[in-house]
Parts: sequence; structure tokens; C-alpha cells
Amino acid sequence: MADLFLSYSYLVLLWPFLAFLIIGLWLGRYNRRAAGLLSVLFSGLSMVCGIGITYGYYRRVLARPHLFPDKTLLVNQFDWLNISPDLTVRMGIYLDPISVMMIVVITVIGFLVQIYSLGYMEGDEGFGRFFALLSFFAFSMLGLVVATNIFQMYVFWELVGVSSYVLISFWYHKPAAVTAGKKAFIITRFADAFFLLGIIMVGYFIGNFDFQDLNAPETAAILNKMFMVKGIGVNLLALSCLLIFAGGWGKSAMFPLHIWLPDAMEGPTPVSAIIHSATMVVAGVFLTARMFPLFAASALTLTIVQLVGAFTTLFAAVIALTQHDIKRILAYSTLSQLGYMMFSLGASQVVDNPTTAGINPLGYSASMFHIFTHAFYKCLLFLGAGAIIHTIHTNDIGRMGGLRKAMPKTYWSMLAACLAISGIFPFAGFWSKDEILLGAWQSGHYLTFGVGLLSSGITALYMFRLFFMVFHGQTTFGRQLKTEDPLMSFSIVILAIPTVVAGYFSKEIFSAYFSSPMVWAADKQLLPGHPLWLPVCANLLAVTGIIIAWYLYGRGDLSHVRLLTRRRGIGYQLVVNKLYIDELYLFVTHKIIFSYIAAPIKWFDRHIVDGAVNMVGRFLHICGTGIRLAQNGQLTVYLGATAIGIILLYVLGRLPI
Amino acid sequence: MNSLLLPDLFILLQGFTVLGIDLFSRKREPVVTFQLTWSGLLFNFILLLCLPYDRTVVFFGTYQVSGLALLFKQIFVISAFFTVLLSRYYFTEKGNFRGPMRAMGEFYGIVLFCTFGMFTVVSATGLLTLFIGMELATIPLYVLSAFRKGDDLSAEASTKFIVMGALSTGILLFGYSFIYGAVGSLRFVNILAFATQYPLHPLLFLGLLFIFAAIGFKLTLFPFHMWAPDVYEGAPTPVTAFISVSSKATAIAFLIVLLYGPLAPLHPRLQYLILLLAGATMTVGNLGALKQKNLCRFMAYSSIAQAGYILLALAGQAEMGRASIIYYLLIYAAANYATFFIISIVSQKRTEEFASLRGLGKQSPTLAAILLLSMFSLAGIPPLAGFIGKFMLFASAAQEGYYFMVIFAALNSTVSLYYYLLLIKEAYILQPTAGPMVFEVSFVQQSSLAILTVFMILLGLVPMISTKILLIVQ
Repeated sequence: MADLFLSYSYLVLLWPFLAFLIIGLWLGRYNRRAAGLLSVLFSGLSMVCGIGITYGYYRRVLARPHLFPDKTLLVNQFDWLNISPDLTVRMGIYLDPISVMMIVVITVIGFLVQIYSLGYMEGDEGFGRFFALLSFFAFSMLGLVVATNIFQMYVFWELVGVSSYVLISFWYHKPAAVTAGKKAFIITRFADAFFLLGIIMVGYFIGNFDFQDLNAPETAAILNKMFMVKGIGVNLLALSCLLIFAGGWGKSAMFPLHIWLPDAMEGPTPVSAIIHSATMVVAGVFLTARMFPLFAASALTLTIVQLVGAFTTLFAAVIALTQHDIKRILAYSTLSQLGYMMFSLGASQVVDNPTTAGINPLGYSASMFHIFTHAFYKCLLFLGAGAIIHTIHTNDIGRMGGLRKAMPKTYWSMLAACLAISGIFPFAGFWSKDEILLGAWQSGHYLTFGVGLLSSGITALYMFRLFFMVFHGQTTFGRQLKTEDPLMSFSIVILAIPTVVAGYFSKEIFSAYFSSPMVWAADKQLLPGHPLWLPVCANLLAVTGIIIAWYLYGRGDLSHVRLLTRRRGIGYQLVVNKLYIDELYLFVTHKIIFSYIAAPIKWFDRHIVDGAVNMVGRFLHICGTGIRLAQNGQLTVYLGATAIGIILLYVLGRLPI
Repeated sequence: MNSLLLPDLFILLQGFTVLGIDLFSRKREPVVTFQLTWSGLLFNFILLLCLPYDRTVVFFGTYQVSGLALLFKQIFVISAFFTVLLSRYYFTEKGNFRGPMRAMGEFYGIVLFCTFGMFTVVSATGLLTLFIGMELATIPLYVLSAFRKGDDLSAEASTKFIVMGALSTGILLFGYSFIYGAVGSLRFVNILAFATQYPLHPLLFLGLLFIFAAIGFKLTLFPFHMWAPDVYEGAPTPVTAFISVSSKATAIAFLIVLLYGPLAPLHPRLQYLILLLAGATMTVGNLGALKQKNLCRFMAYSSIAQAGYILLALAGQAEMGRASIIYYLLIYAAANYATFFIISIVSQKRTEEFASLRGLGKQSPTLAAILLLSMFSLAGIPPLAGFIGKFMLFASAAQEGYYFMVIFAALNSTVSLYYYLLLIKEAYILQPTAGPMVFEVSFVQQSSLAILTVFMILLGLVPMISTKILLIVQ
């Protein structure tokens, strides 16, 4: 049974793809109801396959550690494109702890989001299209996580990009949605260009794309050499690692490429839920984890990963404090949490021991653990936000309030999720965040550790600001609100279960199996043990955050807040406007690039390039007319041409070339 | 291993049966011949798939079956199969603006015998078998292109075809005589032994040049291509499709058999000539296609250009050259037949002009989309099959270091994109001048188009089929 699931493991991808084909090509136009149900059914089957694979993988690999020391299993592999006799691109399914974990997360969350969408998208004219695209999104992401080589990953990586583009701009009659989709696509594509460059570079030097070979220590040794570019020495290893990481930088929306993510909430809320939890944004973290052994050989790369992650964590948390759009707050909280995952990977590098590249395994496993727990509660938060928006038709938390009575199921589930994301004991987020902080502290990155600790306090503050403003205070809705949609509440309530318990029950699994995709070079420099003060301190900070939030927002009286914002005039303006990053991009692109670079190029293109092309075109047309005239229908001409041709062949054949 | 001979025997038997039924049937146009032909060809294709591809067996000392031969036979059978399906509608009253064709049974019989001739070409072990196969494959085409009896264009096409064909056969035999004069034998084994010993023998090379010129006629290489546009326009459209795929495949098979077989020692000396001819052919084909207004003439020039790309791969080494050519022929066949099916549907009431396509995008989005896919596949746009196919062809030449030629070919295929897009423009953008189109799409046409479309997309997404072909032809 276990082996059966493994040998048919491609089914996990096939179901959503089939759903996409059937609904997209045919069913979506004829019967919406059936299309939605079929999509849910197929994603359920995909989930069954995903869980089956997990079981099979456990039986085959994890239960027999002596047979699989690197815990990796390749199934269903086949040659896809034979570029040259010694360079073949393969497709296949790569099973190791992180890809199996991702399969579970994607299929489970995909399934729940699909059920939720049945209620949320009810009556939308693009109902069929929505389910087709949602299935395709799941298919692309699954293909990405099971990729056996970086080329396959890149193919699916781009498919994820395309499907997120069409889903974010799903309501294409809304200009904001179209702009947001375009923004997401362009920014991630921009980063992907570097990613592709990195792939080509690694492929050129190593002659292979397989992850197992890329992550081998020999690869790092081959790449670890300097070459000179105009007098500046560049390390090949660091350069290729950073180029590859650039792809993840964009996809995971790390500062300063984060600007697409808050706008991406213009898409339907189920899309935001799936983008922010299971697909798309975690792809960048996943890529970093997948390539971790190679990245770990380059100290510079890990340092940059850590710095970018830590900065994004704090930066996004501060901005989230001041936003008014419920989905935008959640988007910034995702950025902040992604920052945790990223810096945890980067902070695996042990500070005291930079020469021997000491690596603390806890950083890696904590990061993966956080992907896992975060997926559930973030999905819950978005689905809850969607339910709220669905009920009262506004995104502005200033206009909400007192929804506790009207939406009890959403209220209690959201409370659990807010506690989880704030890292309150014993909710899911506590366990993973605790490990991340512990990892950073053990490795000796005290500054990063401090940033993480501080951000966790801010997280509690902004999450409960949202929570209190939405559910507590005076109700502003006089009329009777409609009751919660059963399909939507179902997913929300189900997700509340892992939100509460996923951390406690799976922490053993993560610490046992997620430790080593490589041989860890850590020695005794690590600070031992798990000090009790750390979780206590983090929880105290979080509780303080909640108390402040209650004081400021919980009682429905916002006078303190107004006072506070007035006093912090400039700083507050700066944060509300997200440090003017978007405006900066606009300035750079519109003012500088468009008018000083693009305009001259346009002139050159219009007058010189186009002119040359037109000349060539005219010349070709004249040649075409000539050939048409020569073809005059006279048989004698044809026979003559043949005779001349033979003579020409003879002469040319005699030439001493 | 006599089963390896089964496809050849079966197609002969099938040809005789179809002709026999036609002869003794009381009906004027026995539809059963159609049913027998297509089902027999389908059966033959399945049979071909079941045979072992890793064996080479020689029958009666002259007829050899190898994996390479079986692969080519697959192409011939597929091509004949779609020709038969394509022609079915032309035998009905509403089938074509030029009126119905007659003598269905004869038509199918001739197609089958012609296909048998092609089988013989790839099974040859000596120049004599090769010659007989080539003639068996060519003479029926003269008959087929004159199949619209009483139609002036058809008669003119056939006359030109026969005269040019006769000349090329003469040249072919003339070339043979030099080789025979040098070697004293027509068997490949002896020729190979002689050529290995004296690769610089002047008579051998002279003979090969004449043979090349003669095959240049079949393959529509510049400057032997000039018959093609007239014949493509005049011949009945199913025959045009058959000539453009099967006849071309036979000619390239002939060259493959010869150049990678007995005359392989001369291959290095011929490489420059091949490149030159390939470059000239694709340029002339592409430039000629720019100004066409008739769909069949357009397809003639397009297939001349495609012959240039195919010939390019012949400059490469044996394995890569063979594999890429076979793979490309499959892809080319799919796109070409899809286009011809659409031409046949459009020309039920209208002439075969570009303007007849106008309004197709509005009236039948599916047909227009298939046309778009075929054009993109012929032009080589990823992720369609044509891209991978062209990539392989060019890679074969690039492996030998002819990068300039590859760049030249890539530029040429950019030019080709222009005229392929012209067709799309007619179908989607230009407003129809006449009223709405009147056509019916029969079940046969629908299912054929569906199969061809799947084929076009699938061969692009699953390129590892080419790896399998490479393994077979090694």
C-alpha cells in the first residue's frame, strides 16, 4: 500500500491538472455548479494522494534510516529534454522531508480553500474560470516543490508566476486588480531573470541541473574560485548563489522587492489566502532551503539572506501597525513572517566559527517548521478576513467593529489564529517562532535575535489592533447582518484545529527529521540547551503587545490613538505611507528610466532600428517578387533551371573547400 | 523474424483488395474501399508499433528491415492515413468548389501502392532496390496529381510533373552509371567497401552529385524546386498534402539511406554542398512565400523552405541527423495535414485564396485556433512541437560546428514567421468581404483535426520521444 502511493505519486499533480483541463476547456462554460464540485473533488483526491505519499515516504524512507542516509527518494523520473548527449533535463518527483511537508500543506490548504471558494465565489460570473485557475495554481506549486532539478523547478516556478498573475487580476474589469497583477508579475519576473542567469551559470560550470549534484560538496568546491571583472575580484560561488537566491528574493517578497505582495490582495480573497500560506510566497523560502547546502558553503550568501530576512521582519511589522485595510495588514504580517523564515535560514551560520562554515541545524528545521505552522494560521486569517468582507462589503477596519456577535465562528477561529501568529503559548506559532529565536541566539546572532524578539511583540500589537477593531467596540451596523456561509465557516473552523495544535504535536517530527540535507559541520561552539527565559520573555512581550492593543483599540474609544498619531506626526506619516517605497519605485521608473533612458532609446528604435528593419523588409519583398516572376509557368524555364543547377552543383562540388 | 515483413505484405494485400473491390463492385463509388483503406492503415500503424526496433533482418538478400526503416514506415503510414481521411470529402458533391472527384477506389489503391513504394526505398540493400522503390513511389503521384480528369489545371500540373520527373529519373540513372562504373556492383556492401578504400575516387563523387540533383527534384531543393508551386496548385488538394509530406519524406529517406550508408565516406566532402543547398532552398522558399495569394502555392513555398531546414540536419553526424529528421518529419506532417484539413474545409464553397480565410476567427474559433497552432508550429514557436523539432535540426548542424549556418537558418525562420502570420491575420483580423462562410465539418474532419492538434502540442511538451528515436537509429 505504501509503495503503491509512491509509485503513483505523480497523481498528486495530475488531479489538479486534470481539473484545470476539464473545467477550463469544457465544463466551466456549461455547468458552473458541476465545475466547482469537480474541482473540489479532484483537489480532495490530490490531498488523499498527498497524504498517501507522506505515509509511503515514512514507511519506505524515514522508517529505514540506514538505507536512506540523506532521506531522499526519487520516483517517477524520466528524461524530458535532451539538450546535448551529456546534458539532459529530467522531470521527476523528489521526495525528502521538506518536499513531503510542502505537498501536505499545499494539498490540504488547497482543498480547504476550494471548499471555501464554493461559498465565496457564489454567483460570480467567472466561477468556472476561477476554479480552473485555482487548480492550475496548485498544480504549478506542487510541480515546483517536487522538482528533482533546478530546471524543472524553474519551469514550474514560472508557471506559478503566470497563474498568480491571472488570479490576482482575476477581476480584470477592475483597474486596480489589473495593475496589481501586472506589478506582481513584473517584479517577480525581474527577480527571475537573475534566477535564470544563476541556473545557466551553474549549469555551465557543473554540467548538470540535479539538486543532488548541485548540493554535493564537490560542486561548491568547483565553484569556489575567484575571477576578475575589470579589476574586481568576484567569487563564483557567492555570485551564483546570490543570483539563484534573487529568484527567491522576488518570489518571497523580501525588502525591497516586497511591494507587489500588499497590492496582490486585489485578487479574490481565497487567492490571497492560498498565495500567502501555501503557494507562491513560500516558494522563495523553499528554494533557499532546497539549495541550502550550496548556499551554506558561501558565508556571504547566508549573511545576506539573514540581513534581508531580519530587516523585512521588522520593517513589515512596523508598517502593519498603521494600515487600515484588513487584507493589507495581513499582507504585511505575511511579509514579516516570511522574514522570520528567511533570517532563520541565514542565521544557521555560526558566528564564532566563520572559517569552517559551522552550521546550526536548528535554523534550518525551525524555518521549515515555521512554514508549516504559518501556512495554517495565515490561511485561516485570510479566509476569516474574506468572510468578514463578504458579510459587510468593506476592507476598512475603521468601519468595522462589534462583529463578535454576528460572526461567532469566525470570531473564535480568528482569535486562535491571532494568538498563534503572536506566538502565545501553546498555540502553533509559539513553537516555531521559539525555535527560530533559539536558533538565532544559539548561533550567536544577537542582533537578529533581538530584531526577531522585538518584532514578535509588534506582531501581537498589530494583530490584536486588527482583532479588536473588527470584532470589539461598538457595532456600526444597525441592520441585521446575514449569517455566516456554512461552506466558508467549515474551512475556517477546520483550519482552527491545526492553528491550535500543529505546533505542539509536530515539533518532535521537525526536530527529528528535518535536520540534515547535508553533513553539518557544527562543533561545540553552539550554546547548549534551551534557556527558559527565552520563551517567557517572548511571551511577555507578546502579552504586553496585546495589552497595549486592548488599551488603545479594545474599548472602542480611539481617542488615545488619535493623540498618539498627532504627536508622532512625521514618523507616523512616514510609516503610514510605507516609507514611500512605492513612490520611490514610481519615481525611479517613471521619472528617471522612462524619460532619461527609455525616451532616447525609443527615438533610436523608431528612427534607426525600425528604419533598418523596414529596409530589410522592403528588400525581402523585392526578392519575393523576383522569385514570383521567375516562376512563370513555362516548363522550358524549369528544365533549364534544372540543367543549370546540375552544372552549378558540379562546379561547386569541384571547388577545393 | 518474419513478422518484420508483415507491414509491407499487409499494405500490398490491402492495395490489391481495395482495387479488386473497386473492380468487381456493382456500385459506382464503393464507400467500403474508404473504410477498408483507413482501417487497414490504422491497423498497419499499430502493427508497426508492436514490432521490435532493435533488429536488422535482410529478406531474400535484397530487402532489409531495420529500426530506422520501421520509423520511416510509421511516417509513411500516418501520412497515407491522413491523406485518405482528407480525401474522403472530396469525393462528395459538396466537398469542394472544383466539384466532386470520381473513382474513389482507384484513388485509395494508388495511394496504398505508392506507400508500398516508399516502404521499399527505406528497405533497400542495393541501388537497384532503391531505384525501383523510388519509381514505385513517384509514378503513382503523377497519376494522382491528374486525378481531376477534365480539369485543365490538374492536367497541366500532371504534365509538368511527369516531364520534370522523367528528367530527374534520367539524371538519377545517369548518376548510378558512374557509381556502377567505378564499383562494378550495385550492392551497398560492395559500394561501401569501395568507397572506404577510395573515398576520393572522382567517378563516385560525380555519380553522387547527379543522384543528389535527381533527389533535389523530389525534395524540392533549389534550383530543382520550380515544378512544386504549379503542381501543388493544380493537383487535387489531398494529393498536394500527400506530395508535401510523403514524397518529401521518401526523398530525404533516400538520402539518409545513401549518405549514412554506402556513401558515408563521401559525406564529409558533401557537407558544404548540403549546407549551401539548404541555405539557398530555405531562402528561396521563404522569399517566394512572401508574395503568395493562393493557399496551395503558399504551402508549396512553405514546404520548400521546410525542406531546406530538413536538409540542414543532413550535414550533421549520422545518429543526430537521422533522429532529428525523423522527429521533424512527424511534427511537420502533423502541422501540414492540420493546415490542409482547414484549407479543405474553407474551400468547400470558396476558392483556395487567402481571402477565403477571412472571418474564420469569428465564425469558427476552434478552426482558427487550430490554424494558429499549425502556423506557429511550422514557424517554430515554443512550446509547440515545431520549436523542439527545429531545435533538433539546428542542433544537428551545430554539433558539426556550422554555427553561421544555424544563425542563417534561424534568421530565415524569422522571415517565415512573417508570412505564417499573414495567414493568421487573414483568419482573425481582416474583415470578410463576402458574406459568411458556408461549410460543414464532418465527423472525420473533426476527429482528424483533434488528433493532429493533440499531436502538435504533445510532441512539443514531451520531447523525450526524440530521445527514444535517437536510441533506435543509433
